[in-house]
Amino acid sequence: MIAMFTADGKLAVLKAYFKIILTYRGMLLIHGIRLLLLPMVLASAWLSIEKTAQNPYSDSDYLLYYLLVPVIMNLTDSRIVFKFSLAVKDGSLNRDLLKPFPPLMGYLLESLANNAMQLFYLLPFSFVFWLFVRDRIVLSHLEPSLLLYFLAAIVIGGMARLAVSGSIALLSFWIEDVTTLNLILNGGIWALLGGMIVPVATFPDKIRYIAELLPYRYMLSFPIEIFSGRLAPAEIWQGFATALGWIAIFSIIMRLIWKRGLKTYTAYGG
Amino acid sequence: MNEQQHEYAIVSSGLNREFKVRLKAEGLAASLRNFFAPAHKTVNAVNNLDLQIRPGDIVGFLGPNGAGKTTTLKMLSGLLVPTSGNIDVLGYTPFNRDHAFLKSISLVMGQKQNLWWDLPPVETFAIHRRIYGLTDAEYKSRISELIDMLEIVDCLETQTRKLSLGQRMRCELAVSLLHQPQILFLDEPTIGLDILMQKKIRNFLLDYHRRFKPTILLTSHYMDDVAALAQRVIVIDHGNKVFDGYLNDLTHKMHPEKIMSVLLNNGEFICLPEEGCRLIHHDGHHYRFMLDRKRVPEMAARLYATGNIADLTIEDPPLEDLIGQLFTSDKPTRP
Ligand SMILES: Nc1ncnc2c1ncn2[C@@H]1O[C@H](COP(=O)(O)OP(=O)(O)OP(=O)(O)O)[C@@H](O)[C@H]1O
Ligand SMILES: [Mg+2]
Repeated sequence: MIAMFTADGKLAVLKAYFKIILTYRGMLLIHGIRLLLLPMVLASAWLSIEKTAQNPYSDSDYLLYYLLVPVIMNLTDSRIVFKFSLAVKDGSLNRDLLKPFPPLMGYLLESLANNAMQLFYLLPFSFVFWLFVRDRIVLSHLEPSLLLYFLAAIVIGGMARLAVSGSIALLSFWIEDVTTLNLILNGGIWALLGGMIVPVATFPDKIRYIAELLPYRYMLSFPIEIFSGRLAPAEIWQGFATALGWIAIFSIIMRLIWKRGLKTYTAYGG
Repeated sequence: MNEQQHEYAIVSSGLNREFKVRLKAEGLAASLRNFFAPAHKTVNAVNNLDLQIRPGDIVGFLGPNGAGKTTTLKMLSGLLVPTSGNIDVLGYTPFNRDHAFLKSISLVMGQKQNLWWDLPPVETFAIHRRIYGLTDAEYKSRISELIDMLEIVDCLETQTRKLSLGQRMRCELAVSLLHQPQILFLDEPTIGLDILMQKKIRNFLLDYHRRFKPTILLTSHYMDDVAALAQRVIVIDHGNKVFDGYLNDLTHKMHPEKIMSVLLNNGEFICLPEEGCRLIHHDGHHYRFMLDRKRVPEMAARLYATGNIADLTIEDPPLEDLIGQLFTSDKPTRP
């Protein structure tokens, strides 16, 4: 009974975030276009250079990869770093702390609402992009089980991104500006090792090995690799295990930081 | 559940809160040194504070800027962990932030504490209804009662950031009271409002308290608020409690005098210091003077007996003066 009411609160908060996002939908359009630009440039760049013998990726693989990069980036996106550091500074964290509602739940729900809404703005563009290149993309390997793996990988990727971002966000209790730290760890390293610029599968072996151990690949490249049919079931399950391990580690880190952080929190404002 | 009736709703003993503040250095050399080995200063925002507040009481919490009032409210509501000391609010330790505890309190601190800035107030009400698990019937009856008492029908559908200060404050109160908290912490609920709106909020709080009897701890820099709402006041200065008792006692203790104003038809009024009279103002036939409380009836009788009085008023010195005096006196008054 109590659990039902709590669930109710979550639904109400989720709805509220949808409403807020709709009042600022102009932002979504701008952000959606921004997400598309880089992958399109990269796609054309990779298609125009000569393929070497070691490169496992074909033109079709590259096109599909960069077609999906903005979609996955969008679906696993989280604004917790920006939002949480703001909440510590402007005192709105005070509001969340005094509600009988998990104080960090709002960030998860907001990300869900934001990413879902943004998809509506992104998909038409991706669709147009696809129309132009569909003759060159091979999708004959797609089957239901692969799509299920793909969806699961997106959810896991989103969770991994939220856990890593959340841990950085919570450092706002001590560090005034966490955005720089976030730009390095969650922007730079993520873009390189996550596969935003170059698909992880085309990395030199040693670097690829490191990338497969770190959490970043699972936030972006991994779901696309599944979708393009390049991973055997054993590799997929190994990927899931690695990603879930990281999620567990960062959840524990987050919990520890949160407990300590609250004790140093001086609740500005008022 | 903490269903049993406690003697006190709020108890604190030996409550302390320190803040470490980084000192700013002047000059380049000092700045550099400060960068590598920052100099800190410890501020004792709240110092060894003992509080005992009974259920249903309205207590005014007074003190100059920086006295530690907000810091105390933040500790009592569970936002801030005390440096040392104990707090018991309705049987809970606030900093644990048990949901059952959070459901029985409300903190109003500015107009942004509870309202969602980007949504109209009705939306915040609806969210609170779910978060606090109110039934349909509870929600409907409470919300219509609050809308009525606070006269906020017109602002319900407007985005909160577009509301005026007064509208926002009233909506903020409505949100904060929706779950009918047993304890209400109000940090300067009338700040920045015009006299009329201050009065409205004050009357609302009195009315609300009459109906639902919550325990209220209220800070305000407007003495009218405190005088109208609180029977008991706690005064702190630099984190130390300097007075705790009835408002009347504070007045008597601090000000053994009253202010009398007389307007004579003609002639002159002679204010004799040996009779305890102190002239503050004199303008034509109008005299304003302080007089020992005990001598006031006798003086009034004497003045009337002359038949030369056009007007006579007797008043207490303003509370502001009184509080000011409390802070400048070197010997703090302890109850
Ligand atoms: N987050 C904080 N970090 C450092 N020092 C703080 C913090 N909050 C309060 N202080 C200091 O603690 C002391 C008490 O502040 P507090 O806000 O409790 O005063 P107050 O009585 O509410 O004052 P006011 O009437 O101005 O609202 C002040 O010296 C203030 O500078
Ligand atoms: Mg204050």
